[in-house]
Amino acid sequence: MIEIAGVRKSFGALAALDGITLSVADNEFVTLIGRSGCGKSTLLRIVAGLLAPTDGAVRIDGRTVRKPRRDVSFMFQQPALLPWRSVLSNVMLPVEIFGLDKRGYTGRAHDLLATVGLEGFEKRLPHELSGGMRQRVSLCRSLIQNPRVLLMDEPFSALDALTRTELSQLLQQIQQQYAATIVFVTHSIDEAVLLSDRVAVMTPRPGRIHRIVDVGIPRPRSLGRHAHAADVARLSNELHDLLAPA
Amino acid sequence: MKVVLPVIGLALVIGLWWLATIVFGIERFLVPSPKDVVDAYLAQQGFLIEQAGVTLLETVQGFLLAVVAGVPIALLIVSSKILERMIYPLLLAVNAVPKIAIAPILVVWLGFGMLPKVVMVLLVCFFPIVISTASGMRSTPAELVELLRSLDCTRWQEFFKLRLRYAMPQVFVGMKVAISLAVIGAVIAEFVGANAGLGYVIVVSGGTADTALAFAAMALLAVLSIVLFYGLVMLERFLLPWAEGTRN
Ligand SMILES: Nc1ncnc2c1ncn2[C@@H]1O[C@H](COP(=O)(O)OP(=O)(O)O)[C@@H](O)[C@H]1O
Ligand SMILES: [Mg+2]
Repeated sequence: MIEIAGVRKSFGALAALDGITLSVADNEFVTLIGRSGCGKSTLLRIVAGLLAPTDGAVRIDGRTVRKPRRDVSFMFQQPALLPWRSVLSNVMLPVEIFGLDKRGYTGRAHDLLATVGLEGFEKRLPHELSGGMRQRVSLCRSLIQNPRVLLMDEPFSALDALTRTELSQLLQQIQQQYAATIVFVTHSIDEAVLLSDRVAVMTPRPGRIHRIVDVGIPRPRSLGRHAHAADVARLSNELHDLLAPA
Repeated sequence: MKVVLPVIGLALVIGLWWLATIVFGIERFLVPSPKDVVDAYLAQQGFLIEQAGVTLLETVQGFLLAVVAGVPIALLIVSSKILERMIYPLLLAVNAVPKIAIAPILVVWLGFGMLPKVVMVLLVCFFPIVISTASGMRSTPAELVELLRSLDCTRWQEFFKLRLRYAMPQVFVGMKVAISLAVIGAVIAEFVGANAGLGYVIVVSGGTADTALAFAAMALLAVLSIVLFYGLVMLERFLLPWAEGTRN
């Protein structure tokens, strides 16, 4: 689905990314994990077509990415909701920008909002919602156009720990319900283990993929309470070691 | 309390004023008493309201023209660095000229009718509206711009669905500054050459030492300013209910 081939990116003298090669299969969930500044956001922006690579290329569905595509959606760390739009109208923004028929998508918007537990909040304005609720709206918006690829840049890292856990569980459920290929950026080992098929561990200066770890724990997963607790612990330790400063 | 205290303050000042005119026996043509002013107003109510209507019309027309011209200019400034460098210094230079210095020339060019007043109001209002609108559009948060770009929006959409909408509270800031200046602009233009309007009334009553009438015209000007300003405040509350909550 996504092929990242020999991508390099420099900002002036700074080598932000070097020799990134990674393939993501259809409906696979790949997590990029690494310290701040190792180029995770830069890589995701290149995949999204928001930034051009200095070298190399990204292909999605066989076509080289040159600008943002409609079947790829991006979810940011901030909810990025337009403050004058209601919840529903924020979710419908992509439909409007693409010039698609709104009637055809309103039902889907309501379904998505119900899935994330925001039924009855359709008419509210963003400032009336909590941070967690806003990020749920943002999640619905990124799913409205039925994207084949979902790129998520630390979507939960601005939230408190409890909301964060809740939303990662929700994302797991949503991925099964609205099958999509997901590339997810996080600092959190727990999130990586809970959600991913594979975890790419990145190292900085220049940004490189240091190791790719297969998760291979059966779904649905949870952190610690189930039969796979031992696997979760082993993987978490492995990721800890990989991320520890050399 | 919100209404009561200002009302008490106003009543107090009027009381002191009245007292002063009696105690010091000030001549009517220097400082009329509040009663003189009210009498002067009542004696010529129809005429005064008609003149207030002229000033109001000049003010509103000039102000609306400034909005209609200023917002697109702000859009141009924000959309292109080249245009910004071309237009901005020019705007600063024009704004640096004291408007009162332009008033006599406007009379020469445009005569004694309403047009030179409308143009004067336009000149005074234009700058604050352009500056506020442009700075509002520039302050659009980066994540919102990036969101729209990730949807592969057109430049048109970026401006009309995002930047201009985001700038609306700032546009209102500019409009509120402008409307306060607008009435001043209209009166200045009327001082220089007019045959109607409250500014004209003040000039004429100055000539005949009818100070009470001048005071009545001034009071009407104050009322005009305040009504226009709060009209904008109400309009903002109505049009931008989201702005209140977003600010804090
Ligand atoms: N637009 C840019 N201009 C210059 N340097 C940048 C830019 N974007 C990112 N960088 C630099 O590239 C490196 C990687 O940044 P980023 O991709 O944001 O890292 P991460 O998301 O992993 O924290 C950092 O050193 C950052 O300062
Ligand atoms: Mg980042």
